[in-house]
Amino acid sequence: MESKGVSRRNFIKTVGITTALAATGTLPPVLYASERRLVTFPEKTELLLLTSSPPQLETPLKYFRELITPNEALFVRWHLANIPTSVDLDTWRLVVHGNVDKPISLTFKDLKKFEKISYTAVIQCAGNGRSFFEPPVFGGQWLNGAMGNVTWGGVRLKDVLRSAGIKSGSMEVVFKGLDKAVLPTTPGFLKSLQLDKALEDDIIIAYEMNGQSLPMLNGFPVRLVVPGWYATYWVKALSDIEVIDKPSESFWVKTAYRIPDNPCGCVEPGTAPKKSVPINRMTTRSLLINPEDGTRLKSGQVTELMGVAFSGGYSIKEVLVSVDGGVNWRPARLGKDIGRYSWIQWFYPWQPAKPGTYQVMVRATNSIGESQPLDGLWNPSGYLLNKIEKHNLIVI
Amino acid sequence: MKITILLCIGVSLVFTVMAMAGDQGVTIEGAKRSIKLPEAAVSLKEGPGMDTTSRYCRICHSLDYITTQQKFPKARWQGVVTKMIKTYGAPISKENADIIVDYIATNYGIGG
Ligand code: HEC
Repeated sequence: MESKGVSRRNFIKTVGITTALAATGTLPPVLYASERRLVTFPEKTELLLLTSSPPQLETPLKYFRELITPNEALFVRWHLANIPTSVDLDTWRLVVHGNVDKPISLTFKDLKKFEKISYTAVIQCAGNGRSFFEPPVFGGQWLNGAMGNVTWGGVRLKDVLRSAGIKSGSMEVVFKGLDKAVLPTTPGFLKSLQLDKALEDDIIIAYEMNGQSLPMLNGFPVRLVVPGWYATYWVKALSDIEVIDKPSESFWVKTAYRIPDNPCGCVEPGTAPKKSVPINRMTTRSLLINPEDGTRLKSGQVTELMGVAFSGGYSIKEVLVSVDGGVNWRPARLGKDIGRYSWIQWFYPWQPAKPGTYQVMVRATNSIGESQPLDGLWNPSGYLLNKIEKHNLIVI
Repeated sequence: MKITILLCIGVSLVFTVMAMAGDQGVTIEGAKRSIKLPEAAVSLKEGPGMDTTSRYCRICHSLDYITTQQKFPKARWQGVVTKMIKTYGAPISKENADIIVDYIATNYGIGG
């Protein structure tokens, strides 16, 4: 009995809440009903466990000290528990059908014959940071680890669509992966894009992450990449593309993953929006990654504060840092700009003269003036979080 | 206290053995790639309704969908359980749904 109890936890290494949270650097406003643990899933390094089936795992913040997030550290988020655990590339096919001239069925080799495109882009879950919503909302209680910056390689969606021939009257393109619901009564995870969006140059069907094949848990063998938009559209283990001549009826577009239809995507806390639209472009964010919240520093010593900033497809123009709780703001030095979809690193050398607790805040603005609110904007599903974060650094 | 320490040692020993396997849990045979997922091992707090909750609420996902939520009042949990039935087709009778809502509100929510 005893040994059975232990072996069932083979992969699951229990770490106390303090350790796990210390590793992420930020504490949620309310503690979870349960502890957070670090776990190891196939092809993944130790990640923070949100749910085990379907797997939802988040990246410890320390990985964001690097410009590129390693494949083994990228977060994992599936919706339906029957996820693909085995793929045979000899029999795997990507089909394109529906309102097209000639339906096609591509092998992995066929797909790779299209021109290869590669760029670095932030992937971020729509609900990243949901645990910081006040008042709290239901859904995955992510800290800030449901994001990463990855170099994607693949082929243009529009090239693949054009090879099937899009018929006139087409309205949307629907994407489906290999994941399935446990019960047939649960709506399958279908996502769709308006046709004009789907035909944008930068949307790719990716078969590479950082020059390697995708980990199974991140959508092997191919996933959609919609740079600048939230990851809900980046359908994993993509296997079926359908062109349709009417709006999609999918639950995951019509009912779920929607935001209030107004410029802030927000409503009075606790209320429901009158009108909603499908979530789309990411809001502008900046994060302090190092040193972590609550770190002790020596007075008189120089510490380089660093972090990342990104927005939904527009380059970051400016990152401002305040070390006095938002009274004074000074520009941070920006790292190398490797493209408008990538995050950019920011650096700020700081030499605190006196002991005390300092509230550090960071604020990014992109090239079209989009920035971050001081207080959180609220919506019922806990999306778009980008409030200015407040970290305390203790100088002794 | 003693039990916890022993358990921890046990867990880390098993973990080391697994880590030494070094295959990162992926098997490749020709063009076929497979992984084996770790088992979900979530246990709920003891209390009236625990069995019913555990039986029905893990049909489609692991029970940590419940335990990782923040603290919500009973009415909000009622809303979630109704959503599971109406939207996702959870096969749960009205009677069992009431038992589940009571159990979750008491053990993972705010108040009864
Ligand atoms: C018929 C399948 C099914 C059953 C049975 C089921 N759920 Fe769910 N549940 C889902 C699906 C699908 C989701 C969405 C998963 C996701 O997005 O990660 C979900 C999500 C949730 C969430 C997250 C919040 C949300 O609305 O997405 C909670 C909490 C939850 N379920 C609780 C429960 C409880 C409590 C029970 C038992 C009464 C239960 N579930 C039974 C299918 C089911």
